[in-house]
Amino acid sequence: MDQLLQALVNGVMLGGFYAIMVLGFSIIWGVMGVINLAHGEFVMMGAYGAWILQESLGLDPLVSVFIVFPVMAAFGYAIQRLIINRIIERPHLISLLVTFGLASIISNVFKLLFTATPRSVEASIHGLWQVGPVTIPKTRSMILIAALIIMYSLHMFLKHTRLGKSIRAAAQNREAARIVGIEINKVYAITFAIAIGITAVAGVMVAPVQPVFPFMGPPLTLRAFAITALSGLGSIIGALFGGMLLGIIEVLLATFIPGIGTNVGIVSSFVILVIVLVVRPQGLFGGLKAATT
Amino acid sequence: MRGGTTFRKVSLGLLVAAIVGLATLPMIQRYATDGGFVTNSTLFNFTQMFMLIIVASSWNLTGGFTGYVDFGHGVWFGIGAYGTGVLMSKLGWPFPVAVAGAVAITVLAALLLGGPILRLRGPYFSIAMLATFVAVREIIRIVKPITGGGIGLTLPPYLNRPLFFYITLILAVVVVAFTWWLRRTQFGLTLIAIREDEIGADMRGINTTLHKITVFGLSAAITGLVGALWAYQNTFIDPDIVFVDSRTMDVIIAVILGGLGTVAGPVIGAVVLFWARDIIWANFLQFHLIVQGIVLIAIVLWVPEGIVGTFSDRSGGTTLGRLMSKRKGEPSSDEAVGSPDDEPRTVSS
Repeated sequence: MDQLLQALVNGVMLGGFYAIMVLGFSIIWGVMGVINLAHGEFVMMGAYGAWILQESLGLDPLVSVFIVFPVMAAFGYAIQRLIINRIIERPHLISLLVTFGLASIISNVFKLLFTATPRSVEASIHGLWQVGPVTIPKTRSMILIAALIIMYSLHMFLKHTRLGKSIRAAAQNREAARIVGIEINKVYAITFAIAIGITAVAGVMVAPVQPVFPFMGPPLTLRAFAITALSGLGSIIGALFGGMLLGIIEVLLATFIPGIGTNVGIVSSFVILVIVLVVRPQGLFGGLKAATT
Repeated sequence: MRGGTTFRKVSLGLLVAAIVGLATLPMIQRYATDGGFVTNSTLFNFTQMFMLIIVASSWNLTGGFTGYVDFGHGVWFGIGAYGTGVLMSKLGWPFPVAVAGAVAITVLAALLLGGPILRLRGPYFSIAMLATFVAVREIIRIVKPITGGGIGLTLPPYLNRPLFFYITLILAVVVVAFTWWLRRTQFGLTLIAIREDEIGADMRGINTTLHKITVFGLSAAITGLVGALWAYQNTFIDPDIVFVDSRTMDVIIAVILGGLGTVAGPVIGAVVLFWARDIIWANFLQFHLIVQGIVLIAIVLWVPEGIVGTFSDRSGGTTLGRLMSKRKGEPSSDEAVGSPDDEPRTVSS
């Protein structure tokens, strides 16, 4: 029982990271219709950002967030203008191929710069809280809290600012958005920048609890895809619940099935994805329709 | 330009000459003084190139003809390689029987997986295959008693470069001829119909599921066979060298470089990619995956027709060329009618 409770708590913590990690992927897909296979690589860049800032300036990840976000948002803006902008209105295959190439470039550039050696980042808030029979790692709970704060801010931004409303308008109907005078290309570039900024922040947050290496991206991309397909495109609350669900399932499997360790996470998310898409093509939260024939 | 038949005859003649020329390479090595200009590594390189041609052609069956773009094709290669590895090193089967067994295992896996996965389409299929690739790699790591886990398996060594050279050369000729023939059969036309309009094909009474699963299994079988040969040639397999991420990317680049959905495309693309990569490798080993990524993006954005599409005067073009000129909302191979993008997308909380 205690073990189950502990597994659930760990699952929720992991789910917090997945939720913030998946947001950017979900928004880019929802607004631009681009499936970004380089998503995990942007998480990896954020994690390396945390490592570089700690090695050179001794910064805590919580501080690094405020440097990494604008830098990566600017990088995202440039990538959007250079590459993504050309593939927005194309069929999905094109965006898959292009971002697949982008992923290969980014991860191998990082391997070249920093070698494949796994790096670790220290957070100043670490240790454990003991609540009854359950131990709560402090760093992981910080990730969860940060995820909730970021999600709430993003929600307020999309609901109540002019730019946020333009983004939602562009997602709903690009032609109509254009007619009412929204500069759609600008909106796309800013959306991509914000999404990449948030994705990199997820990388900064996860750096203290996971080894940082150039090829950490692909499994994260696959999880992002699985969660988005489960929860619906561009849905913030869906990302939260989808992330939690996947986190809890992964931890439960790793806890109660002996001998499979943590690598099984990607296998379980894949199995869940295929089962859900085949059994319930519209996704758990009704986000996606007609994923199957 | 007039004289299309002359052009065809000339290129067919050149092709036959090239195949015959290649077939003499091991002879030259054997009978010329000091092997002439042919070394073991020449034969090895050509063997690798034939393997790329075969795998690219088989990928093109699903990705190019049927419009189901597979981002995890390396999984069949891996299952074929591990099939041979396990059957030979654990059960002591002789090589030909083990290869047959490995292909049977690959086909079985493809048929089992194909059922659910081929119900997905467009990007969902592509990414489900990518996930299959990663998942199978992890499963192979986990099932240590059978696969040796991360330590890998050692096969009985058998270093006979000319043998592998001839096997893969013959196989390449057979597979490419087969795709050429298949493209002209009723079955091949049906695949194209599925690519162009799956729902329409279904409406006209075509059993699309059966066709998709058949071509999926066929493609897996061919790639699994290559994986099986590769494992024995390499004599050592572990998850990291068998399930290399770049293997799938090589295949995709080869096909779209040559021309997606054409018979000659995979062959030309594979040959060009193989030797171009050899040059990149020799000069900038560290950069080769970066360069490959840049090449992939550049081809998709600027030369989507590939080599075949760019230099042929046939109208219609290649699959990717037509996709690249197509906007969302128009029915195409990738987005059949009623795809998720027809629904208004919303961002909400």
